[in-house]
Amino acid sequence: MTEFRSVPTLADRRRRMGYLLVTPAMLVLVLVVLVPILRSIVYSFQRVRPEGGRFQANWVWFDNYRFMGSDPAVRRALRNTVFFTVGEVVLVIGIALGVALLLDHPFGRFGAFRIILLIPWAIAPVANAVLWEWILNGSYGVLNAVLLRLGLISHYKIWLGDANLALRMVLLADVWKSVPFIALLLLAGLQNIPRYLYRAAKLDGANAWQRFRFVTLPSLRTPLTLAIILQTIWAIKVFDLIYVLTKGGPGDRTLMANFLAYRVTFNYLDFGYGAALANAIFLAMLILSIIYIKVLKPGAPRSRQAP
Amino acid sequence: MSEGTRRRLRLLLRDGAIVAGLIVFLVWTLAPIVWMLLTSVLPHRALISRPPDVDPALFTWKNIQGVMEDRSALVDSFVNSAIVAVATTSLALALGSLAAYAIARLSVPGGNKLMLMVLATQMFPGIVLIIPMFIVLSRARLIDTHIGLVVVYLSFVLPVVMWILKGFFESIPAEIERAAMVDGASTMQTYRLVVLPMSLPPLFAAGVFAFIESWNEFFYAVILTRTNVKTVPIRISEFSGQYRTSFGEMIAAAMIASIPVIVMAIIFRKYILLGFSEGAVKG
Repeated sequence: MTEFRSVPTLADRRRRMGYLLVTPAMLVLVLVVLVPILRSIVYSFQRVRPEGGRFQANWVWFDNYRFMGSDPAVRRALRNTVFFTVGEVVLVIGIALGVALLLDHPFGRFGAFRIILLIPWAIAPVANAVLWEWILNGSYGVLNAVLLRLGLISHYKIWLGDANLALRMVLLADVWKSVPFIALLLLAGLQNIPRYLYRAAKLDGANAWQRFRFVTLPSLRTPLTLAIILQTIWAIKVFDLIYVLTKGGPGDRTLMANFLAYRVTFNYLDFGYGAALANAIFLAMLILSIIYIKVLKPGAPRSRQAP
Repeated sequence: MSEGTRRRLRLLLRDGAIVAGLIVFLVWTLAPIVWMLLTSVLPHRALISRPPDVDPALFTWKNIQGVMEDRSALVDSFVNSAIVAVATTSLALALGSLAAYAIARLSVPGGNKLMLMVLATQMFPGIVLIIPMFIVLSRARLIDTHIGLVVVYLSFVLPVVMWILKGFFESIPAEIERAAMVDGASTMQTYRLVVLPMSLPPLFAAGVFAFIESWNEFFYAVILTRTNVKTVPIRISEFSGQYRTSFGEMIAAAMIASIPVIVMAIIFRKYILLGFSEGAVKG
């Protein structure tokens, strides 16, 4: 009886090669992403503290999560984060849409405008924070000087030390930095809208507002949804600005979710509670993203080129 | 007023509104940048007068020189940041391009699901990852080392690189690879001699993204560095909140740290914009 030795086909060999090439990257991602995510879920049910240079972990089950409900810092962080996130999404999307429409207009199509738009985006977040710390400086800041000259304020204000103003000023600095990316995203979306749609709408007698409302906005649904989701996630994750500008102060008035989780973990060294907060932040972002997708229903984007 | 004049007036008004909008856009975007440039060349005395004394006769290089000469400061951190960013970028490109090619072209079963999972990891806030990573790295004595930073940076750089490259590899016509194979090239030879040379632009784009992201990263660096491997963002943040801040030097440092990234962003803007429209809008 002859035995058949199976000869690997070309497809077999390519697939085997494929496994070989995928493995290193996946191994790295498992080690630096997947394992830590699972670990942090475990930690959130434990009390984890460094003692004598070693980390001690004991099971406390839901204590960390229960403690969140009674922690006044959590309530403050939640209120600030909601205010900041809503403000950020509304302002950034609104301004960025305006900028994108301007730069899509024939007057705005100079390459220089796009280069200018890249600068705030490319500036390191920390450099941006330091720059705004200087602009907002209570004694020598240029914002004070300009507003005083324009007669809008009567004396220099300590923007970042004022309990009612600090969070808004942080918001201003973050909006300035965030608009360019979203504007470029929306601009790319605008340029994918086929021009004939506008011509057709014009022939049907649609005015400029109607063309915006019934051609532009629906065509931007996918990039807008993406922009809203990304901006929400970024707003909830904001850290650099808080760290440089206020460290959460004055009196926790600029304390936000991510900064609280950082403070609890790395200043108070309560790693278990920090992990619980971190997981709560992730859950909030996940739920928001799902709601956005359900409500906004992004479809397959239209492409200018034939497929 | 005749119909024609009214029409012309309306068009004029509309054009005026657009020009006004563009001016507001320019002022809003450029004012902080211009103030950054001015601050870095004005002496301390001019900066702490009210209002600031913006007189071109006072312009000086002292802030910039001070930042560059100060033994402790910026120069060391540039070296640290360069080591970390280059190592992260090269590792991510090497691992990511192979994996992306395999998933795009070598019909790895479940490849697309794998890519979605890779994307989903980006949903996790850094704080979720860094708490366990900090504990692992401190057990391995890798806190305050370049290796520790590179390992953690791969967690957000590698997925982005994979996504950019996979999109590109899928767009290469399969005939080109088939032709190479008919000529007797092995899979690896096809990849190295045919696919890679065609892929230089997207590799560059992915590399620029990876470099900028690792160069600017701050959150993980705050947690993972102590004294030895302070990166540029850490140094910049130390300028603020000092007992006696030299505003000119602080801003000069922030400006100098941003220049490499701004220059890269402007030079490679075509790729970045392409990445936006291809990756972000359609993906």
